[in-house]
Amino acid sequence: MPRTWHRWIPAAAAPVVVGAVVLGGVFATSASADPAEKTPQQVLELAASSTVDTFSGTIEQSSNLGLPDVSGLSGSTGSSGSDSSDSSDLSSALELLTASRTLRVYIDGPTQSRVQILDDMAERDAIRNGDDLWLYDSSDSTAVHSTLPADASTAPDASAESVTPAELATRFLDAVDPSTDVTIGDPVTVAGRSAYDLILSPDSSTTLVSSVEIAVDADTGLPLSVDVFAQGSSDAAFHVAFTSLSLDTPSADLFDFTPPAGTDVTEKALPNRDDAPADGSATPDAGTHPEPTVTGTGWDTIVELPAGTDPSSLTDSPMLSQLTTSVDGGHVLQTTLLTVLITDDGRVLAGAVPVESLQAAAGK
Amino acid sequence: MSSSDSTAAGLDARRTTRSLGAGFFASELAVLFRRRRTWAMLLALAAVPILIAVAVRLSSSGSSGRGPAFIDSITQNGLFVGIAGLTIAIPLFLPLTVGVVAGDSIAGEANTATLRYLLVSPVGRIRLLVVKYLAAAVFCLAATLTLSIAGILIGIALFPVGPATLLSGDTVSIGDSLVRSLLIALYATVSLLGLSAIGLFISTLTDAPVGAMAATVVLSIVAQVLDSLSQTEWLHPWLFSHYWLDFADLLRQPIEWSSFGQNALLQLGYVVVFGALAYGRFSSKDILS
Repeated sequence: MPRTWHRWIPAAAAPVVVGAVVLGGVFATSASADPAEKTPQQVLELAASSTVDTFSGTIEQSSNLGLPDVSGLSGSTGSSGSDSSDSSDLSSALELLTASRTLRVYIDGPTQSRVQILDDMAERDAIRNGDDLWLYDSSDSTAVHSTLPADASTAPDASAESVTPAELATRFLDAVDPSTDVTIGDPVTVAGRSAYDLILSPDSSTTLVSSVEIAVDADTGLPLSVDVFAQGSSDAAFHVAFTSLSLDTPSADLFDFTPPAGTDVTEKALPNRDDAPADGSATPDAGTHPEPTVTGTGWDTIVELPAGTDPSSLTDSPMLSQLTTSVDGGHVLQTTLLTVLITDDGRVLAGAVPVESLQAAAGK
Repeated sequence: MSSSDSTAAGLDARRTTRSLGAGFFASELAVLFRRRRTWAMLLALAAVPILIAVAVRLSSSGSSGRGPAFIDSITQNGLFVGIAGLTIAIPLFLPLTVGVVAGDSIAGEANTATLRYLLVSPVGRIRLLVVKYLAAAVFCLAATLTLSIAGILIGIALFPVGPATLLSGDTVSIGDSLVRSLLIALYATVSLLGLSAIGLFISTLTDAPVGAMAATVVLSIVAQVLDSLSQTEWLHPWLFSHYWLDFADLLRQPIEWSSFGQNALLQLGYVVVFGALAYGRFSSKDILS
């Protein structure tokens, strides 16, 4: 139809326009003003001097560790009956490693915080208001309440800040030592804020980590995103970043949590701080377990948990047997960033190193 | 015919033309909502929350342990029945009714041989398309509001009503939860606009309304199947059904607006692309019936 061909011009143009708007939006976010030039050392100091402790924002977190997606598997084992509590613990740990998720954080000073994990049609909340600690899960309407000891005003808050890019970045930045090369990449834009791109590269040939990129906010020094890259991969193996960030004080109502009617509330006592290990990283029942052994330094560190748990309970789990492969001397869980070796005599070795290093360490 | 008569007729015609936009839209709405089929579909949609509420009421022995947690929570608060009904209706029932209305829009007129007469009267093809699309959009709003309001009413009748618990565990007043119910109905309406545009385009392709309706409904199901396959993950953010069930973000405290905005942008993209396609097809088509 030669007479009416021009009627199709809008139809041809519309996808182009829509595509241009979508791509234009992507380019527009990367075209903000570049911050002033700084040396890696100055950016490290900027990040270390960051005093932002009041903000709210949305965080996106994703992992690409080369593990199979076990969400379907965990669902089938979770509903199978008696051992469901074990496998739900395991699947929540695996969720962190395999799934991507969106969180919202509201933090007002060191003692008030709220973290919301936005699930489909559900939400998990962790709220700290002064000495009160609440965990709420909307999918089964349960809440756990704990009261922090009076002297715990400066206690490490395991629930809240640990999920923000800032906390993770601090761990990497604290670990910067001579075995790490620190460089600056091109300025980046994260959550609409311009930021320095700090690149940490291990100066080691045996680690699985290829580099860690941390976006440090040019204004405040707050780390806005962390990407961990594995050897031989251009996609981030672990990614956590703010997608939106506000430095305003969050509404005080958010921290004032009362469990809704019909909620199953459990009171849980926190371990006395005197019993807890000094490093604060241990789980509440860690006191009954032997101390882990740490060998190697820097990026090659290997952590070894001595025999104690029954190894068959680990390897017989259908989920773990799906994930692990049998190697000389045990079973190995191989991800792009982390290798875990469960030896036949029940020891667990883990590190960001190839399995050969773990086998060598286990053989010592 | 005297000259004064012809002038009057000309004035009359011009006045008709000027008011044609609103007048034509109103008459199109009247045609749509005077049809017995439209009322049957709205009644069927209203039956969804009513059936849920009655079923839960009769078997309120405890938690079923299956399905969305909403279904359990309606026993504590009747205001959630509307939301539970929308959750059930969004994957199939709402696309089905919207597919019928949008798929019928042009092909139905062609099938009953009224399309010719519509276009003989001073109605441009673009205007006809726009009015048909807007009528379909009004039906989307009517459908989601019918569902919500029927759900809220049956909930008030069968279950206790009080302050509502949000997903975040916060409790909000009855007024706030009614506002959120309306927002969710609005979200569902926006969600269906892209499908309406697709249905309108398919409707311009054929003279058989049943074919256009079926194709629209099948497309909505295909999109949802693709959205659930991990192999097509790169495609997910582009599927018009991708944000359909994300209205739960309106039940958080504070409200998470980002999914509303993303959904609206995505639907706008579909409306632009398929609206342009429908224009290309409809304006270059030979109207024979």
